[in-house]
Amino acid sequence: MQQPIYYSRNEYIETDTGNKVSRKAIIAGPQNIILGGKTIISNGAIIRGDLRRTGSGHTVVISLGRYCLIGEGCIMRPPYKTYRGNFNYYPMKVGDHVHIGAGTVVEAATIGNNVEIGKNCVIGKFCIIKDCAKIEDNTILPPNTVVPALAIFRGSPGRFVEELSESTPERVEAMTKQYYNRFVPMQDQ
Amino acid sequence: MSAASLKIYCPCLNPNSLPPPPNLPSSSYSYHEIHDLYFCEECDSIRCNRCVSVEVSGYYCPNCLFEVPSASVRGEKNRCARNCFLCPSCKNTLIVVPSDPPESADGRISSINTLGDPPFFLYCSHCRWDSAEVGITFEKPTSLANQLQKYEDSAPDNLEFERLKEHFEPFIRASSASSSVTHHLHTAQHIHSNPITAAASDALSRDVPGVSKYNPLSRSRVGRDKANRDEMPEYRSRMDVSLTGSDSANVENLLRIESPEEIATLEQRWINSWTSSVLTNDLKPLRIPLHSKKSKRCPTCRHILIKPEQKPQSVRFKIKISATSYLPLMGISLPFLNNPTTAAYTAKRSIRPGAMWEEDKNSTPNNPVMVGGRTYPFVLSFTNPMYDPIQIRLNVLRSPLPTITTTAPTDELGTAPQPEKRRPPFAITLPTFTFSVAAFAEAWEYDDEDGDGMIEDEYADLVDDRRHASASSRTAPGRGGKTKTVGVLEKKANTTYIGGEVVIGKEAKGDIKFLMMVTFTYRNDTVDDMDIGEEDGDGDGSPVRTTNPQSSSLANANKQPEIRTFSYYVVVDLGKIAQKSGEGSVDERR
Repeated sequence: MQQPIYYSRNEYIETDTGNKVSRKAIIAGPQNIILGGKTIISNGAIIRGDLRRTGSGHTVVISLGRYCLIGEGCIMRPPYKTYRGNFNYYPMKVGDHVHIGAGTVVEAATIGNNVEIGKNCVIGKFCIIKDCAKIEDNTILPPNTVVPALAIFRGSPGRFVEELSESTPERVEAMTKQYYNRFVPMQDQ
Repeated sequence: MSAASLKIYCPCLNPNSLPPPPNLPSSSYSYHEIHDLYFCEECDSIRCNRCVSVEVSGYYCPNCLFEVPSASVRGEKNRCARNCFLCPSCKNTLIVVPSDPPESADGRISSINTLGDPPFFLYCSHCRWDSAEVGITFEKPTSLANQLQKYEDSAPDNLEFERLKEHFEPFIRASSASSSVTHHLHTAQHIHSNPITAAASDALSRDVPGVSKYNPLSRSRVGRDKANRDEMPEYRSRMDVSLTGSDSANVENLLRIESPEEIATLEQRWINSWTSSVLTNDLKPLRIPLHSKKSKRCPTCRHILIKPEQKPQSVRFKIKISATSYLPLMGISLPFLNNPTTAAYTAKRSIRPGAMWEEDKNSTPNNPVMVGGRTYPFVLSFTNPMYDPIQIRLNVLRSPLPTITTTAPTDELGTAPQPEKRRPPFAITLPTFTFSVAAFAEAWEYDDEDGDGMIEDEYADLVDDRRHASASSRTAPGRGGKTKTVGVLEKKANTTYIGGEVVIGKEAKGDIKFLMMVTFTYRNDTVDDMDIGEEDGDGDGSPVRTTNPQSSSLANANKQPEIRTFSYYVVVDLGKIAQKSGEGSVDERR
């Protein structure tokens, strides 16, 4: 049994699908951001939905799955590169049950389901993190790094350390659900 | 502040073994998180990664994530044969980059070639190493491994390896016939070799015809029976190793270096299988070693516990027999640590009347800690994963021997590991009666997902419950009434919350770790469920036919096969006792 994590009710906006977005987070270009539901965006997080692909029309820049947590002071920024002489941003996709620790900068291309990312990490441009991987605190993943499924990465540059147990999917799923359920507004005293 | 944790003891094929003292650093290898454990239904026992036998079921490259068939694993010497290379300097993966395009007259970059201009080279985006520095460039940006093949084939370590293989080839052929006969006998005796050897020998016997599985028992016998091992000609290496590492060249180089970075570190050279130059400039890119997917078997009955899907990046398993679906999931929380406002209510001072002031100094609201001379409550939660209700009984082990006397005032376990420093003990109080945990039902899962509105209230209730725990625990049966927080605190769905208490001695320090034997009784599905009503109810006080506590697993031997009992040891770590500001820090430095 875990204690609830309280937040002040007027500090977060709760959407119909259960997303909880801090008023102190900076959400740029919200029309280009998709939240899957029951996702928490903490204080001071910056999500750059405005860095969109050039061209007209509606594009999805950042999509987050269900039961995600964007920690305090995280920066989510879509990756960019110059291809055939054209500078462009590319979309970022994050799966379900992904927790990203405080102070981490993410410029990944794809993050799978059930991924745990620690505090103060740098996830370089166009990184691909597969399902159920774990990035430990203070890890630096250089651009284009591929993290295979069920792997733990650590260090600078982040390297493979160990494999995770086979029951990681269930463990992370339960953990993220529990976290969401524990994250409740403070009762009025 | 260290979080409280629970770890389970795996007897590792020795069912009568007692768990080692939890305070020893070496003991950490015997205790595992429940998520890391497997459960063999046939043997009715816990298995861990250290005792299962492991077989390789497939290979893949961790960078390009391609599955590699085992034939080419052998051909490519366990390395990726595609475009994946490691930086020799920092072990990051390298990327292929084109050369800068020639600038046209107007100064703008006019790149016609979509892939970029040759020559291509490998570049590290972390440490900025590039392969042009060591003279490796490519004509085209694809199939780099093939382009590098000619360098690799002429490398001295490669030539030596080929020569060794040629040398042993006749011997392997000759012994293949005899070993395949003995092969079947040996697999049965395979139990005691460690998982890594087993995996390696399995892979070897599959990939290399004629190499029998490694078996410590058979090795000596084979050597005695077959004289042909002695008939082998002596192997002579291509070159004398003592001559290859020419020290004079190294000395020449060392005389010329200007900064220490010009010498490769030991870590950078460690991965090479051959004596190489000590200079950083001579480091070559490395092909990425492959990873494997593994299936795991019970070491005793060879039943399969883990069988992964073929696809390299799938996290699903064809077979996954995890302990989490057999043993109750346990959780622990220390209410006062998370909720400092309640600490004042729940933690009562017992020994020193004037301790309040010091405590306040130590346990600030932001970082509450446990200090000596006080009593703290803790809450254990048991969540039943099975479709049948279970009855659980807890026994705290006071000493290396499982003599169960719950009313003993001290816990000797704390003093045992460090005899030189007398460590004042702590005492654990837990309910000794049997309590029930309701069966798992899918409906509760859905409640959890959809009933958002309820969650708040439930948590509020829980906190409330703990604050005034007296009401619920007085009604709880057994000897829990002595203290306010001990007993069954709450039952919710398939989870039961048990309150316990730790009394910390005045001068105690170190970790609060204690061993606990968890015994649970459950109904075995395999027989008819005729008399469910008898045991189904709120079995708080129902007596349990406790089996011999020394054995970790015992099916009930008498004539009631439908009720089974399973026991295992859990080490509970409640965290550190805070150091007293004065003498404590001195002792720590000693």
